[in-house]
Amino acid sequence: MKFLRPTNIRSRLAIWFVAILSTILLLYISAVFVFQYVLLQRQIFHDEIQDVETVEGLLYFDQHGSLQLEQGYHTHQQSRLLEDRLMEVRDLAGNVLYRTDTLKGATLGGTALPDEGIHSYNERSTTLADGTRVLLISHIHPVQGKPVLIRLGYSMAPLHDRMLYFFFLLLVATPIALVAAGFISYSVSRRALRPLVSMASRAEQITASNLHDRIVVENPDDELGHMGRVLNHLLERLQQAFAQLQRFTADAAHELRTPLASIRSTGELTLQHDRPNASYREAISGMLEETTRLNQTIDGLLLLSKAEAVQCDSEPTSFFLTELVHEILVLLEVLVEERQITVLEEYENAPHEPLVADRSLMRVALLNVLHNAVKFSPDRSVLRIVYGSIEREGHIFHHISIHDSGPGIAPGEHLRVFERFFTSAVHQATAFRGSGLGLSIARLIIDRNGGRINFEENVVNGAKCCIELPISTKKSKTA
Amino acid sequence: MNTTSPISGRILVVEDDRRMADSLVSGLTGYGYQVSLARTGEEAFFLVHSTQPDLVLLDLTLPKRGGLEILAQIRAEQLPTRVLILTSHNSVDDRVTGLNSGADDYLGKPFSFPELLARVASLLRRLPAPPRSASLQIADIHIDTKAHLVSRSGTPIDLTPREYDLLLYLLEHRNQAVSREMLAKDVWRETSRFTPIDNVIDVQMARLRRKIDDPFTTKLLLTLRGVGFILREPEQ
Repeated sequence: MKFLRPTNIRSRLAIWFVAILSTILLLYISAVFVFQYVLLQRQIFHDEIQDVETVEGLLYFDQHGSLQLEQGYHTHQQSRLLEDRLMEVRDLAGNVLYRTDTLKGATLGGTALPDEGIHSYNERSTTLADGTRVLLISHIHPVQGKPVLIRLGYSMAPLHDRMLYFFFLLLVATPIALVAAGFISYSVSRRALRPLVSMASRAEQITASNLHDRIVVENPDDELGHMGRVLNHLLERLQQAFAQLQRFTADAAHELRTPLASIRSTGELTLQHDRPNASYREAISGMLEETTRLNQTIDGLLLLSKAEAVQCDSEPTSFFLTELVHEILVLLEVLVEERQITVLEEYENAPHEPLVADRSLMRVALLNVLHNAVKFSPDRSVLRIVYGSIEREGHIFHHISIHDSGPGIAPGEHLRVFERFFTSAVHQATAFRGSGLGLSIARLIIDRNGGRINFEENVVNGAKCCIELPISTKKSKTA
Repeated sequence: MNTTSPISGRILVVEDDRRMADSLVSGLTGYGYQVSLARTGEEAFFLVHSTQPDLVLLDLTLPKRGGLEILAQIRAEQLPTRVLILTSHNSVDDRVTGLNSGADDYLGKPFSFPELLARVASLLRRLPAPPRSASLQIADIHIDTKAHLVSRSGTPIDLTPREYDLLLYLLEHRNQAVSREMLAKDVWRETSRFTPIDNVIDVQMARLRRKIDDPFTTKLLLTLRGVGFILREPEQ
């Protein structure tokens, strides 16, 4: 039965279409057939009544006392031959008074039924001696004062013949219609699915080297167009991921080379001459410090890639922003105390809702920002943390600003500080040198959580970092 | 000086990178361990059976037979060998895979040698954590671990809880270098590897030194540049 299960969609659609159509046609034809038959039978009954009422007036007893039918009204004598009515007239005793020639002497309906023809026409079906089916009615009518029972019938044979003919006509026409419908549906579905073929062949050609190519969408509103757009979005995300990967590799290579170069040149210079032990010790210590830096850079890069992937597989928990900030401040407490920095926390209608995010990543993000603020704060200065809320596009966001009194951010560098491995051209603060990834990581994590982070540009002294994080609209699980 | 004397033990290093293998062998030998080296999985199988090491330092990425296969074999044969995985695949998943396969510990490359030594020592003592005695002492510093009291030369020293934890950790690793990574992980309990708290550690260490070393002539808490810190008993 495998050949009945074609693999391509257009054949399957055509077959389904034909099957459904033939079932519907069959039901329809049967219904029409029955309806038509009943209708015609009703019509015959109706005609018979009309006929019996007419014939009644034409019956008369001739001078011999036998019943006759008036025939003198025919303009042409041969018109008589067109009459195929079957009629039998009996007196109430049951004696046959008259029979049409069409009955060829046979009886019509046999012996009389009780009360036949008195209250109704006693419509019934009967069979003549020669087997002809007849639809028969009876009626009692006085002819010249003498009541007679008139039985009048028509042979059903012509109706049956015509119905049979009609049936054969349908029988022949239906398969032709079905075949035509099959072909049409096949070609229509092929035409409808044509974009799919072109999309498939286009998609087949897309590889890592031409990820910027897109599938051509013919009609963006139909289902295939929708699918095309979905595929294009997928390609776009793939392309972005790929670009990110390439950027990651390039950044990594660049940033790893610097400490490597330092390690290499330290080693080379140290080995050029014999030196006192202390000098070797010094060189090796320097090399180890660079290794630590290398290690931190690698960890930072891996964290970046982890944060980039966080959208798909992180398990967010619910926690309070202030609680997380306090945890970080406890961690940084020793720095804050040592530098005699005053941390002021202010609340300006801060929302009470918790935050829903990957806590460990959010901690890294806020730790980087707060650590920077502490790092750049001068001794005995004030670090101001303000919790509040902000509304954007109908959504409430947590808003936290961290304002230090440090050197601030040089004009034009407010966005660039978030770039990977950014080092300020203005503040040559090598003492503050980190991996150059902290703020990129913070921004990536905050972005991925639907928030935003930026440094306010018109701040008089120090740097003011503003972070917005969305309040989850979902029912949050409590952590 | 009992803690400086190396714990005797047979260690099998399974590592295909020659330089890494050499430094592991010489480093561990320098601390008194009997070290043998296998560069391939097959060699490792042979040496596991012939030398019956107490501890296997296992690199997961090996030519021919993978590290996990060796680990599975050791566990299948129910050998009493402890296994410490060394690998550059540092994700949590790798760690879980390694530990689920029956490894006793897991250390990501690049690791600090002091940390490796601490882990090796701990594994060979076959104790999950050394029991904390009621009092610890180094030179004239005395810690009462029950009352959390610290004194040096009989002078009580007032430490914050963090400083106390730090000193206790250094004392437990006395005469061993401890790296900032170890401190971040074990004292500050930072799980993320990228946590820029090196200067927090440095400042904390400076404050501790101010309390336990600065008022005294003999300095015990030393900074090893590029390595970390060491709490060392003064040489007589």
